[in-house]
Amino acid sequence: MLSRYAVKSPWLFRINTGSCNGCDVELATTALIPRYDVERLGCKYTGSPKHADIVLVTGPITARSESYLIRMLDEIPEPRVVVAIGICPISGGVYRDSYSIRGPLDKFVEVDVNVSGCPIRPQSILDGVAQAIGIWKEKIKIFHKA
Amino acid sequence: MITLSASILAYLFFPGGMFAIIFGLLLLGMERIAVARFQGRIGPPIFQNLFDVIKLRTKEFLVPEDATNRLMFIIAPFFGFGGMMTAIFILPVSGVYDGAGASSDLVVLIYLMALPAVSHIFGGSSSGSTYAAIAVSREAILMFAYEITFVIVLFTVALQAGAGDGALFSLKGIVDYQVRNGSFVHDLKMIPAFVAFVIFMLATLEVPPFHIAENDGDVMKGYYMEYSGMPLAVFELTHALKLLVLITVLQIFFMPGLAGGSIVVNLLWYMMKSAAIVIGIALVHASMPSFRVDQAFKFLMIVPVFLALLSLGLVLFL
Repeated sequence: MLSRYAVKSPWLFRINTGSCNGCDVELATTALIPRYDVERLGCKYTGSPKHADIVLVTGPITARSESYLIRMLDEIPEPRVVVAIGICPISGGVYRDSYSIRGPLDKFVEVDVNVSGCPIRPQSILDGVAQAIGIWKEKIKIFHKA
Repeated sequence: MITLSASILAYLFFPGGMFAIIFGLLLLGMERIAVARFQGRIGPPIFQNLFDVIKLRTKEFLVPEDATNRLMFIIAPFFGFGGMMTAIFILPVSGVYDGAGASSDLVVLIYLMALPAVSHIFGGSSSGSTYAAIAVSREAILMFAYEITFVIVLFTVALQAGAGDGALFSLKGIVDYQVRNGSFVHDLKMIPAFVAFVIFMLATLEVPPFHIAENDGDVMKGYYMEYSGMPLAVFELTHALKLLVLITVLQIFFMPGLAGGSIVVNLLWYMMKSAAIVIGIALVHASMPSFRVDQAFKFLMIVPVFLALLSLGLVLFL
């Protein structure tokens, strides 16, 4: 019962793991401009990982950001959904096989949704968030049974 | 016995408790919609803050390992919540509910209004987060600045309602005086106090330009930084109740006019006035940038205090 209403309030949290900022700009505009207003879905960007429900990870996980990423993911309370934004966290993209890259993201955490593109299009972000909400609903049910 | 059970009902259900929480959350949702519309967006559904609270019920609650005081971290949200529940219980709604009936409830209100900020300060400072520490110091600075305005406005209203016989510290008395002699918002002497109270309201609610202590781009979420799950939901409920309490206090002090004889009509009138005030707040919210903390302190120490003192002087000597 709770999960039906709970999924109407997904709070988003962005983690930038050494991204070129292209995807981050797309994420910011998706939420903020009138055309692709994600607040319609009840979404809101939060500043704290402890408030997050849907985690959006951008960037190819550089050696420097690896430990911060792991710590940040640990701080996010269950049930949560991890979304890989852009090609970089999915496969490494143009940075693949670089000496300074520790990715892809699924080495560190179970990724629920992959949203590919370089940079991603706003429509595909909305689609990814909508898919993440569906997965999140199932996760809430499982979390409360256990 | 009958009065006791009526008080319990009032505390738990009708003007306080359930009604206040749901109405406060709806007002918050309305504010979000209004801000979105002012910015040309569509905005969330009106029940959004209700969904937020339900969502937070389903989340895990994490206590940080380096929290300086674990017990205080867990119980801090409930100070503000309890304070606001009590405040909404003692406040009269003109033509609907007479308040708890204590003769000096205006003085109680001074103490109760400070409680949400106190719970932010306790919770933030015991969480061990650097962001929360910065936010707490800012909140404390702002609190010193805006409480002065509140106390002066409160005295002005009490003196005006006393009508020459000294101050009247009963909220019910203030409402009755205005119902008999016209609302204070129509009184030229009280206009500066009204403006000062609105500024105090914006500062207490931490809408821009006063969202210094919980500014996302600056101190992330401030004192809420380490909170998750249930206690964060309690903070949300406190915020909703605080909005409703401030709006109700504004109506008691300046515009408690009645719309008719029946309770239902007066209740609808009260809700409509509340909604109009919330839309006004949203207009300020959508159009203002943020102050720096020193600018906000100077502004709050000069402008609203001066306006409130002006009203106090006019009431005392005219």
